[in-house]
Amino acid sequence: MQESNSILVVEDEPFVALDLKFACEDVGCDAVTASNCREAISAVGETAFIGAVLDVNLGRDETCDAIARTLRDHDIPFVLHTGDLDRAGEYLRGIEAPIVAKPSTASAVIARLQKLNSERST
Amino acid sequence: MNDRDKPVPSNQALSSNKGFGPGETGDFPGASGLLFEQAMAQTRMAVCLTDPLHEDDPIVFCNEAFERLTGYGRNEIIGRNCRFLQGSETDQDEVGRIREALREEKVAVVELLNYRKDGTKFWNALHLGPIYDEKNKLKYFFGSQWDVSDVHAARAEERHAKAMARGVSHRLKNVFAVIGGIVNITGRSMGAREVSTRINERIQALGRSYEPTLDEAFLGTTDVGQAVRAVLRPYDPEDGRFTFTGGSVRTEPNAISAIGLTLHELATNASKYGALTTDDGHIDVSWRHKRDRFGRGSLLIAWKETCGPPIDSPPSSGGTGFQIANALLSNSRGALDRYWEADGLRAEIHFPLEV
Repeated sequence: MQESNSILVVEDEPFVALDLKFACEDVGCDAVTASNCREAISAVGETAFIGAVLDVNLGRDETCDAIARTLRDHDIPFVLHTGDLDRAGEYLRGIEAPIVAKPSTASAVIARLQKLNSERST
Repeated sequence: MNDRDKPVPSNQALSSNKGFGPGETGDFPGASGLLFEQAMAQTRMAVCLTDPLHEDDPIVFCNEAFERLTGYGRNEIIGRNCRFLQGSETDQDEVGRIREALREEKVAVVELLNYRKDGTKFWNALHLGPIYDEKNKLKYFFGSQWDVSDVHAARAEERHAKAMARGVSHRLKNVFAVIGGIVNITGRSMGAREVSTRINERIQALGRSYEPTLDEAFLGTTDVGQAVRAVLRPYDPEDGRFTFTGGSVRTEPNAISAIGLTLHELATNASKYGALTTDDGHIDVSWRHKRDRFGRGSLLIAWKETCGPPIDSPPSSGGTGFQIANALLSNSRGALDRYWEADGLRAEIHFPLEV
């Protein structure tokens, strides 16, 4: 596994995923996108991510629960990016990750992740 | 003549007043069989008595309202256990609560789905409780039935409307997120990132302004305070730059786009030139209803920046953002007034609520 400045973007909506990828590149990071938990978990096995952005509802009743737990196990910080604040609140309260409400600009989402990283390093 | 329309003086199962022990009604001279039965015949509340001392607790008395509610005639009711009103969709947990009340001789109120003779369903608010004789021994069970189908329908409709509003709200937020992605990606590919960023900021501000409208779409109006907070949320990531003051003021949803975009322009301006550029800069935002100079009801949103960079003179140009805000507001006969004070910008958004 190689050292990286990569960010994992888990998002089933391609336009939003691409927008987030560009916003990562704007701040000098690479982005790896995944549209479901399976892809995302396998990406975590290949790249040492510095952080992740997780859409909560990944379509077809899939949530980001599985990848969130994998990231916790790897001690990789992440933010939740969702439009359904009620459900995210009920369901992901135990995970205690910052929530960025949709719609927000992609740069704001990435800025929140960078802030989380800087909080951890101090 | 329909004999259900006149009081029935007696029936085969309860031919005297022995149904109530002296402890309940004996001191009351009106507790004679005749008066009791006339009252029972007239009340619109369906009433029955059952005899728990007989096998399977049969109904021994019912009044006219009970016949009307259930569609059964008296001769089809007397002698049967109340469960003949239940059907396939009756909640067995509620039935269990009835059994428990009967077993423990308790008073209980349960709501259950019952079936009329013609098969139609109704929600029955059933109140039941024991009646004792003069020796304090259980004699009857009393049951009163009330059709609460209307209440149930209204509750179900409200739940449905809320669930729909939440679903629509979630989808529209995602649509705004996708639109944002499309605008950014298009702007990037055409070498117009500056423009696409400006467009996107305004689209997202618009989306946030409508959040409370979407969540409460079934109410028809929007809470101004919620919309103001939603629009300004991204400008206050540390949660301390803004102070919000204002009561519960509601407005038409179509006022929200102009107000939301104007607040967005004020906040953008503050983060470039005003109170959001300094460490201790602060912005007070307040809202209330008032009469404008023509006596019309209007909404006033006041914006006050303090501890920003010193202002020597008003900026020379209005800026595109404020031009857009002014155009939107004046289209609705509203206005944006701005005053550059030494310690920061003051602005007032006026929006007429009656035209």
